[in-house]
Amino acid sequence: MSADQAAREAPGAAGQGTTADDRGATFRAVEGGNQMQSGEKLLVEAYAFIWIVVLVFVASMFRRQRRLDRRIETLETALQKARAKSGGD
Amino acid sequence: MATSEALAAGTKVETASSRSRGDVAFYTVLALCAAAFLITIHVIFFKAPVESTMGIVQKIFYFHVPIAYSMYVGAAACFVGSAGYLARGTRGWDAFARAGAECAVAMGVLVLVTGALWGAKAWGVYWTWDPRLTTALLSVLIYVAYVVLRAFAGDGDSERKFAAALGVLGAANLPIIHYSVQKWGGNHPKVITSGGGGLKHPDMKLALMLGFLTFTLLAVVLIWTRVRIELAAARLGEAEEEALELGVGEE
Repeated sequence: MSADQAAREAPGAAGQGTTADDRGATFRAVEGGNQMQSGEKLLVEAYAFIWIVVLVFVASMFRRQRRLDRRIETLETALQKARAKSGGD
Repeated sequence: MATSEALAAGTKVETASSRSRGDVAFYTVLALCAAAFLITIHVIFFKAPVESTMGIVQKIFYFHVPIAYSMYVGAAACFVGSAGYLARGTRGWDAFARAGAECAVAMGVLVLVTGALWGAKAWGVYWTWDPRLTTALLSVLIYVAYVVLRAFAGDGDSERKFAAALGVLGAANLPIIHYSVQKWGGNHPKVITSGGGGLKHPDMKLALMLGFLTFTLLAVVLIWTRVRIELAAARLGEAEEEALELGVGEE
């Protein structure tokens, strides 16, 4: 078998048992299985999701910190008022 | 009188200095975590070879397994904090348990989603009721229940004790997740084993080790930050109550 013939009959990504001529004339869909998914796309989705969850976690802590800052501010204002009141008495 | 004032001043100085030491340690761990992330990403994408049968999607593994491990770290923190709170009843232990549970939920969600994306390529389905997947989902739901309980059930002593009991009991599922593959089989890969594991290339092993280091540091940073916020909130709550008792800020 010549190299050219072997290349024509080699099983490729388009499916087993098809020749280069067949693949040039018809497109056959993969039926189910893991070939339906692109590995690159899944990898990017996984890494993007990791970063999103970590960022959401950090953002929730930032929000809690802001809430604490507001409560401290309110307490400080109340203390200042109380001090001013006691100083005026 | 003068002695007690001097003692009080001394305690204040000591507290401030130990707090600043704590800050230095915290920012050091944070910087190490950031550096570890950069190095790990570099090794995963530029040094570790592409796996021969699965292709590039196998690189999810270098984060998926360390994330699962850091979920255990969060769950272990929740267990230790809960047991400590039940034994001692102090806010520090409670804060540690709460921080651990939140970390376990975040990491658990990441494990389930990254595993599902890997499974879509490896098995052709996002989810299957495999023993390890099912027990991992159960564990995540337990910690979600803990977090929801703490968020909506108030912050009284009885609620904290109830949550602590959940934190202790919830940890019982962790060894079951770990040994489920050995005991009940299933589809989940068994690449990491006591006999050296199934990673055949040294750069693959390096990428996984760095992943473990990075996500351990990330879990420590997240738990530490959350504990600091929780303790600050508890101190502030006490100060607000005291202020109200003294009649400050009533109007």
